[in-house]
Amino acid sequence: MSDKKRAALLEKISSGIEGFDDITAGGLPRRHTTLLMGGPGCGKTVLALQILVSGAISHGTPAIFVAFEENARRVSANAQAFGWDMPELEKKHLFFVDACMRADVVKSGAFDLTGLLAALGAKASEMGAQLIVFDAIDVLLSLLHDPAAECRELFRLHEWLAEHGLTGIITTKIEDGKAGTAQRYGFMPFMADCAVLLTQRTTDRVTARTMRVLKYRGSPHVLNEVPFVIGPTGVEVGSSNGVHPEPQPFTERISSGVEALDAMLCDGFYRGTNILITGSSGTGKTTLAGAFIEAACRRDERTLFISFDENSRDIVRDLATVNLDLAPHLASGLLRMESVRTESASSEEHFMRVKRLITEQQPRCVAIDPISALARVGGGLAARAVAERLIYLCRNAGVTALFTSLLEGIDPHLETTSLHVSTISDSWLQLSYALLDGERNRALSIIKSRGSKHSNQQRELIFSDTGITLAELYAAGGTMLMGTLRMEKEKAVETSRNHHEIDQEQRETVQTMTEGDPRLSAAERDPRKRTGGTAKKKPASAKTGKLGKSK
Amino acid sequence: MSEVIDAGGHPNGAYVFRIYLAGGAPNSVRALANLYAICRRHFPESHRIEVVDVLKEPLRALAEAILVTPTVVKISPAPEQQIIGNLSEEEEVLRALGLPQKEIQ
Repeated sequence: MSDKKRAALLEKISSGIEGFDDITAGGLPRRHTTLLMGGPGCGKTVLALQILVSGAISHGTPAIFVAFEENARRVSANAQAFGWDMPELEKKHLFFVDACMRADVVKSGAFDLTGLLAALGAKASEMGAQLIVFDAIDVLLSLLHDPAAECRELFRLHEWLAEHGLTGIITTKIEDGKAGTAQRYGFMPFMADCAVLLTQRTTDRVTARTMRVLKYRGSPHVLNEVPFVIGPTGVEVGSSNGVHPEPQPFTERISSGVEALDAMLCDGFYRGTNILITGSSGTGKTTLAGAFIEAACRRDERTLFISFDENSRDIVRDLATVNLDLAPHLASGLLRMESVRTESASSEEHFMRVKRLITEQQPRCVAIDPISALARVGGGLAARAVAERLIYLCRNAGVTALFTSLLEGIDPHLETTSLHVSTISDSWLQLSYALLDGERNRALSIIKSRGSKHSNQQRELIFSDTGITLAELYAAGGTMLMGTLRMEKEKAVETSRNHHEIDQEQRETVQTMTEGDPRLSAAERDPRKRTGGTAKKKPASAKTGKLGKSK
Repeated sequence: MSEVIDAGGHPNGAYVFRIYLAGGAPNSVRALANLYAICRRHFPESHRIEVVDVLKEPLRALAEAILVTPTVVKISPAPEQQIIGNLSEEEEVLRALGLPQKEIQ
């Protein structure tokens, strides 16, 4: 078979839904039958209707919608909720047939679709229709009470579509979301050239929709189940198969919003990368996210701050206490803050929402606080996939994204995230608490920063009404000093510096040596460099562990 | 295009039917034969049957909201009643027409 002939056989029409075209490698088979199957409320009608509507809007394709279950007027009215101008479309391109059997109709003996198809054929040629939807054909056929007769009528329909060169979409209900359970329609997927199964599953009280291409004759297709949502503009399919152009890596550096942190990172983050900040509750994740966003706003960049389960106004108020003023940026529209109730939707719906927000706001920097909230809805696997796609979404859009993730485990040293996103993050900052002599102090360390040098030291994270700073930890007698102990040590060093010129000379010597060492980062060449470096490699964890035992 | 089969008789008490057929399709042929038989048996002097061939008047079926063939519409006496199928289940037909079913026996 020549390529040309093969191409003619495989001619497809776009569904107008990006993700659906992805999983079907281009859309529906032209002049063939596509079957949409699913339980009640799975979105079969909306999907079929959307394909007609987008064909009519973008290509002016005339089409017929035959509604067997719902009143055609109601189908059309519901469609308006998605912002589709049905009256206008019906005037020009779409024709609805109300094929809802009236309740008072009496059935006596066998019937067939010959008449209906003759009528539709005449209508199709009159309006030049190319597409036709038979929505919930099972409702009418079940009146036959004869599986063999039902099959015969379906076959008649299939033949009729082929004869008239029409692209057909047949939707049918199946029970339990399994194609196999529909004995009567068991053969339908065999008859159709393309069969798609829509399902709706509830995990942890959250319902998520998925679709899967069961078969596609003569065409490659995605075998996996893919998530989809019915959003305010209709069906959106979350295909991960989409081929997106690889974004050009940026070499520009942007500030984290904390000067001392920029120094630790050797000049901030790379633009277009993604940053993960992990830590348990109260370690300062949101504050660091706020600093990042505030710095972006000061650079006059459009920004987006999405918070799960925390009111935007509360965040603005809290950040003001560390001298971060988001209010003017919010007022100017440079910053958009969205507060989302995690349990209000499935992780997939959250993804679609973030995607929409990014499209609307066109931000250069985004903060999502915390991304781990997704793990609470819709099952672990789905949430993981969503978190991953969120990261790729931002990366592909060239957006610098900061994600925070809550660590809830009892082991503070278990540096993993519930969504396993740490491996695909470009930079990973870990926040923790250190308990020392009755003080709880915040500590920050950089676990990784791809393509960049960074400090390997843990620092104390200090929030004050003048802003956010990082202080170096003092190592003394095998423990790291933080908080009051660190301040005392700093004071002691300061005093001794004033009194002993020799000490000062020694410090300078150390500094020179440091500068000569290319392995050490600029951060460590800071003039406020620590005096003793003997215990700096010792992880803070060892220290806290020791303290725990002594108490 | 429709063909009218008029048994004449009483214009007021007449049973008026319209039957939508798909040419010579088996179910359609059977339905027409069954309708004749029922009419002859139950109201021989006062019935009228209008036959609409959907294959010849396809757009009329759409306009008149006819979904399947064969479909019989009892137009008179009121109220209008639709019966789908080849009318092989006579009891159902009689019940729909409000006739006592004993009469068939």
